[in-house]
Amino acid sequence: MSSEQEILNRLRDGVVEYENDMVINAANEALETGLDAEKAIFDGLVAGIEEIGRLYELEEIFVPEMLLAADAMYAGLNILKPHMEKKADGGVRGHVIMGVVQGDVHDIGKNIVKMMFDVAGFEVHDLGRDVPLEDFIEEQLNTNSDLVCLSAMMTTTMVGMPDIIRKLKEKNPKVKIMIGGAPVNENLAEQWGADGYAKDANNALKDAINMVASLRNL
Amino acid sequence: MEMTSRERFMAALKGEEADRLPVISVCQHATYEQMEKLGSYWPDALYDGKLMAKLAGGAYSILGFDAVRVPFCQTHEAEAFGAGLKDGGKQGLPSVKTHPYKIGDTVDFPEDFLERGRIPKLLEAIRILKDTLGDKVIIMGGIIGPFSIAGQILEVTTMLMEAYKRPENLIHYVEMGEKAGTMLAKAMIEAGADVIAVEDMMASLDMISPDIYRKLAQPYSKKQVEALDAPVIIHICGKLDRIVVDIANTGCAAISVEPVVNVPGAFEKFKAEGITTPLIGAVDPVNSLFQGDVAKVREETAQCIAKGFAMISPGCAVPPATKTENLTAIVDTVKEEN
Repeated sequence: MSSEQEILNRLRDGVVEYENDMVINAANEALETGLDAEKAIFDGLVAGIEEIGRLYELEEIFVPEMLLAADAMYAGLNILKPHMEKKADGGVRGHVIMGVVQGDVHDIGKNIVKMMFDVAGFEVHDLGRDVPLEDFIEEQLNTNSDLVCLSAMMTTTMVGMPDIIRKLKEKNPKVKIMIGGAPVNENLAEQWGADGYAKDANNALKDAINMVASLRNL
Repeated sequence: MEMTSRERFMAALKGEEADRLPVISVCQHATYEQMEKLGSYWPDALYDGKLMAKLAGGAYSILGFDAVRVPFCQTHEAEAFGAGLKDGGKQGLPSVKTHPYKIGDTVDFPEDFLERGRIPKLLEAIRILKDTLGDKVIIMGGIIGPFSIAGQILEVTTMLMEAYKRPENLIHYVEMGEKAGTMLAKAMIEAGADVIAVEDMMASLDMISPDIYRKLAQPYSKKQVEALDAPVIIHICGKLDRIVVDIANTGCAAISVEPVVNVPGAFEKFKAEGITTPLIGAVDPVNSLFQGDVAKVREETAQCIAKGFAMISPGCAVPPATKTENLTAIVDTVKEEN
């Protein structure tokens, strides 16, 4: 039987090497040997995704490799997560709504950010792409999510963001809003009244954890 | 002596002396303010050749640019392949909503490709622009690059993963993209386009690795450039420092870049390789044109001139909410800096 460390290494390496089967086998073995699911996720899968994030920043890998790593990560997460959520508080860190704004069908960036949130223990309400303004507001009211993440990939579609931000804040002044995507930036986020701008998936997650923590401290 | 826009543009492409740098927009340049002034609005101007030409003419009559370009959106080829589009309404552009093919499918190239979708309207717009403005400015016909068309007719996430794992499975779709773009470009040239601008937004290092670019994008772009009897400007969004020499090696007449590109670095690499391909760019379409003011645009334009761009252009598609004064500020600065 494999040692705990060896299983964690295989979870991590499976993500870094885009080997779904390696991740699936290691995840099943983790459960069989009674390894804590949360530990397997954080010290195995998340460690792998962190390495992927590092390699991406160094431009040693690119979006295709990131998508393959995400695929491998989900193969493990799908096995491990149900066992984590049996815990008392469900292990949920916070609720997040996520979507690409109306008119925009580019959702790769959003999906990579979603992966980071999924693996970090957030409950993600993914509205997909080309999402009408009203849907963000309705979903926020229905789920009382702490955070809404808006993505736009085109200079022609980002202009829809200020409207959504204003209306969300009108309905619920406490909700935190983060924007991301190629054409937006920190200044625009501030100008449009968003609480944060994420330049990439790693930063999106870090900011989200801070924002949700600040809400909890209120 | 003052040159016409045509003379100025052609001189800049050839690296010859001109009275000043040309100002163009390699990507779409329609704005809401121009729509108001010209009485030609989206979405009608996306479906009607006359209205399309009328709105595109604003780049000359209102902005004072040295070229006018059509189309505004990036969907003509994909639509002709059978992709489902989503309308962008008055404010936005149509985008590809459904992808007609899955990896493994064989694309049956439509014989009547040039008759499909809105391609006849696009060609009509070019004929009108040629008739009305052709003696004054450069008429630019815009097509989508081979790799990016493949990314529109297939679902992009699965396509990108396949590009890493089994690139050979994508060759067929990139070949079809090349065939479509080249066919459309030839028809545009016949209709009066002086220059072809190829937007290859998916062939960026923001999307793929240098290795995938070399395997699945560059060879097909090169084939396309060689097939066309007009200067070809290649525009790729985002990062491309590590492939800029490969892009130049397609034989394109110029490369249009975004502000993130290291321009001195590119010229250094070109020098080492004996490449003279001019670069076009790169006024920040969001920070300067959309969000900034005249002073910011002037400052950035001056920086672009100093960097050695052969023509000044917005770095990517002009956000339609951009103010006219920010666009004319580019032209004013180029005239003064001369």
